[in-house]
Order: sequence, then C-alpha cells, then structure tokens
Amino acid sequence: MSTRPPGFGDVASAGVPRCWLVTADGCLSATVRALWSGEGGAASGRPMDWRVFDNGRAVLEQFFLDPPDLLLVSATLPDMSGVSLIQLVKGENVYRQVATLLCLDAPGVAGVEWSSIDADDFMVLPAQAAPRTEGDVACAPLPPPLATELRARVDLALTRAGRALDASPLTKLPGNTSIIKYIQGLIDRRVDFALAYADLDNFKAFNDKYGFSRGDEVLMLTARLIATTAREVRGQPAFVGHVGGDDYVFVTPVDEAEDACRRVVGAFDAIVPGFYDAEDRERGAIVAHDRQGQVRSFPLMAVSIAVVCNRPSAGFSLAHYGEASYRASQVKKLAKDRTGSCYVFDRRQT
Amino acid sequence: MSEDLRTTYKGRLLAVKDLPTLPTALQEVSRLLELPNTTTDQVAKVISFDQVLAAKVLKMVNSPIYGFPGRIGTVKHALVLLGFNVIRGLIISTSVYDDMNRAMRGLWDHSVGCSLACGELARALGMKDPEEYAVAGLLHDLGKVVSALQLPEAKARVDGVVKEQDLFYIDAETQVLGFGHDRINAWLAEHWNLPPAIREGMAFHHKPMSARIYPQMACVVHVGNFMARLFEYGSGGDDNVPPLSPHALKLLGMNQRSLEALLDNLCEKFADAGELGFA
Repeated sequence: MSTRPPGFGDVASAGVPRCWLVTADGCLSATVRALWSGEGGAASGRPMDWRVFDNGRAVLEQFFLDPPDLLLVSATLPDMSGVSLIQLVKGENVYRQVATLLCLDAPGVAGVEWSSIDADDFMVLPAQAAPRTEGDVACAPLPPPLATELRARVDLALTRAGRALDASPLTKLPGNTSIIKYIQGLIDRRVDFALAYADLDNFKAFNDKYGFSRGDEVLMLTARLIATTAREVRGQPAFVGHVGGDDYVFVTPVDEAEDACRRVVGAFDAIVPGFYDAEDRERGAIVAHDRQGQVRSFPLMAVSIAVVCNRPSAGFSLAHYGEASYRASQVKKLAKDRTGSCYVFDRRQT
Repeated sequence: MSEDLRTTYKGRLLAVKDLPTLPTALQEVSRLLELPNTTTDQVAKVISFDQVLAAKVLKMVNSPIYGFPGRIGTVKHALVLLGFNVIRGLIISTSVYDDMNRAMRGLWDHSVGCSLACGELARALGMKDPEEYAVAGLLHDLGKVVSALQLPEAKARVDGVVKEQDLFYIDAETQVLGFGHDRINAWLAEHWNLPPAIREGMAFHHKPMSARIYPQMACVVHVGNFMARLFEYGSGGDDNVPPLSPHALKLLGMNQRSLEALLDNLCEKFADAGELGFA
C-alpha cells in the first residue's frame, strides 16, 4: 500500500468531514497537515479528518467502497492526471456528492478546459521546486494568505456540496438529509417547535391525466406557498423542506403553527383550481379510470397537514427525529380520512 | 403598413422595462409594507387599484422561474405566492411618473372603473372567480400605457388624430400605428405569460366575439369598459362611449333590466372607490 497512515488529523470521530488529499507533492501534504493540525497557526475553524494518498490508483478502490466528503487532488499525479481522477469519480452518480478540488500552479490554470471538468473548485498553489519527499526541510511554507484561502475553499466546498446535493432539483428546497439534521438539531437543543408534514390528495390522478410537467407546476406551487407562509411566520424556528414528490415539511413556533396551516390550506384551495383545464375545474373533479380499471371521479387536489409538537418547556419532548416522523404518519391517517384540505394536530401530546 | 414596421413596433413595445406608475397606490403600498401586521389582503386591495403594479406582480408570479407560468390570475394569489420580501423589492424598484402624471391620471381612473364594473358584473352573473374578471378589466388598457411610454412620438400623433377627427382612440391608434392597444395587450399578455383568460379579456374587449377560448371573459370586459365610459369614470383617451355589442350581452344572458340593475350597483361602487382616494 502506498497510502500513508490514516487520520493524522486525530479527529476520526463521527460528524467530522473526511477529506482525502491525493498528491505526490510532499510539500503539499506537509502543508495540509500543518494547516489542519493547528501547527500552521490557524487552529481555529472546523476540524477535518485528513488522509493522504500519493497516487491515483491507490485512492480509487477505497474511494469506491467508502468515499470521503472531499477530495483535494494535485493536477499532476504519478499515474494519471488529477483531472482524469476527478472525472472518474464525478462521472458516477453515486459519488457526485463528494466535493472535489483541483490543485494546480499558475501556468496550469490557463491550460484547463473548465467547461468540461466536474471539479467543484480549484486552488492555485506555487509550484514547488525539486524536493518531493515529505518532511523535506526545503519545503517553503505556504504564504499566510494562501493558507487562509486553502482552508476557506475546503470549508466552502464541503458546505456547498452538502447544500447542492440535498436540495430538491425541482423546488430547490432542502431535502431529507438537511431536514433530519435540522429537526434533530432542534430536538438536541431542547427548542420548542411545531413540525408540520404536508402532502397532496389526488395528486396522482392529476399527474396521470395532465402529465408530469403539469404535475411539477403543482409541486412548485405547493413549495412556494409553504415557503412564503413559513417565512412570514413570526419568530423562530422557521424552516421548509421538500421530502420528495408531493411531501413537504415545515417548522414554525408552536403558537404560530395553526395559523400557518390555515393559511396554507386556504391559499391552496383557492389557487389550485386554476391548474386544471376549464372543464375539470367546472366539474370540480377529474373523471378517470382507477387502478382497478373502474371509471371514477377524483376531486380537485387538496392539501393535508399533520402537525407534531416538541415542547420541552412544557414537559413534552420528542426523543429523536424518527419519533417525530412516526407520530406525524399516525396523525396523517386521521387527516386522510377527511375529505378536502385540512390540518390535524397530534393531540396525544397534550 | 409594412410587416417590418409592425415588427419594429412590437419589439419596442415588448422591450418595456421598469414601467413607472402613479404615486398614489405605490405610496400606500410602501406605507403598508412598513407596518408590522399588514396582511396580503390589505396590500392586494391597494395594488388592485393600480394597473401597472398589478401587471408587475402578475408578470412576476407567472414568470417561468416560479414554475407555474400562466396559472395565477388574481393579485391576491400573486401576493401570497410572491411573499412580502419580493413585493418589497418590486415596490422599491418601481419609479413614478412625474410630468406625465396628469395626462395618465385619467387612464388610471378609467382602468379602476372598468375593473370595478367587471368584478361587479362577474359577481352578478355568478362567475366562479370574479377577481380574475376584475384583473382583466384593470389591465384592459395597459397597451395604451405601454405604447405611451415606448412609442411617445406615436402617442402624440394618436392624441392629435383623436382631437382633429373626433375618432375613437383605438381607431386613431390603428390609423397611426397600424394596430390598436388591443393588439398590444395580446402581445404583452403573451410575453408575460399571463393566464389565457386574462389575455383574452385584454385582447378582445373591443371585439368580444372573436375570443376563442374565453368569450365570457372578453364579453365581461367589453361591457365593463362600456360602463366605465358611460359613467365617465376616468378617461380612456377620447370622449366617446364605445358601442355596446348586443352579441356580448346575449352571450352573457343579459337584458335591459339586468344592465340597469348593474348600473345602479356600480353607482355605489364608484362612489366608494372615490372615497378611498384612488379615483
């Protein structure tokens, strides 16, 4: 194995981003090591678990099995170019969430065809002269502005990767990972909040009759409606996420939840008829075949909302995110039994 | 006229950016947005009295970036979906007519009158979404506003023709430009992704029987325009009452008596609007 001993950052605990440096440049690895171990005088900033590989092949197998959060790659490697390593990794959909940064020297920047590269960012570092072994005293330390920039770029690339991947490509709202992280954060900090799960009734019939792109219009409408409503709620916390399909969540202060639900329901019912063709709008329903092949009438879409509260201040705390979503799914059954738009609160908590 | 000239005019009209408005509604909306407990209903009510502000919010909410172009036809729904943040940005970026203020006032009042008449008529006829009819009425002369701004030299000539030959404004427009504000309306509504019903109301209020998809809408705006002119509520650019199409009345199922009942209703509506300070 040509890898160096893992975990020189001494922070191999959960929640610490795992970052891999792929370079044959001993000076660069020394620099990175110094920067994130605090020796470089930049002890602040979030810890990261760094691991160094000195060639491309060494990295690949481990990468495919257990990818890190970030890959910092030198443009020139002994066995392949940094660019082709990045292309290899980013070309696979399951690995696209890994943030990739390309390190190159100033002349190298000009020669890169940026439009055809999947790297998330790059960093220009001064070309090091002859010594290429780690710990060589001849390595010049990175000038402080560049050291700061490298730290910042790595930090930002990690944050951005999480953000971009998680967001729903349609509505751009935060997705499942962000939702869980946010809710669990509130539970851990013992914050009072109301968590609302919203979904649409008769969305499938609409989608089947009018097609996906008209269906997406409705999903965008719902997202926008919930987003503006949650945003205009007084106080904190306020959050909106798109679980996927026609499932959304939003978080408000406990006292504001009912008003927010009422507004979402009212506006949705008023606006959604405009998304149907005139004939269906007049009739108030879509007539179509159901899954058994029977002709059925599907009413206009409605929104159902199930609300679960966390109130440590009143002696009721959710244990974890899973409990919140379980309770919500139970309450949702009650909401689904009613026709038309509605919201239901989890009453077992009171 | 040549096709080339028409294309040039169309390009200049659709290139309209930053439509200015009159100060009344703009100032009132700004004031409301600074208060902590303002509701979208309150803001919507004020914006529904200003054709330019209403056009701006509808254009924005129906832009493809929001993901449902051509679906939102009322100011209230537009505001709920845009949210106060975007509305605030829109209000800040809207400028005010200075010198043209007086000339434009009549057109603004006329659009409010037509909007009130359309809303009232739609309610009386039991239409499902009277607000949309009111919006189509409010925007029915927007083409005049845009052409005054984008083709000022033509506007002066149209005004001249109206005065010298005692023509309807739309006939003077056709004489000078080769097309009327109804055509401009159609272009604008299409370009801004306004809902088809509103587009037809705007585009066919002078020829209601030509509307293909929503003739009812076109007929309501046609009758609404007639009413506003009859009451001399504001000014549409000339001093004549346009002819009322008997076909439109028939399509809406109206007769002399229902027309008179509507006129009585409108008297009150117009008086109320006057008290609000928007007319």
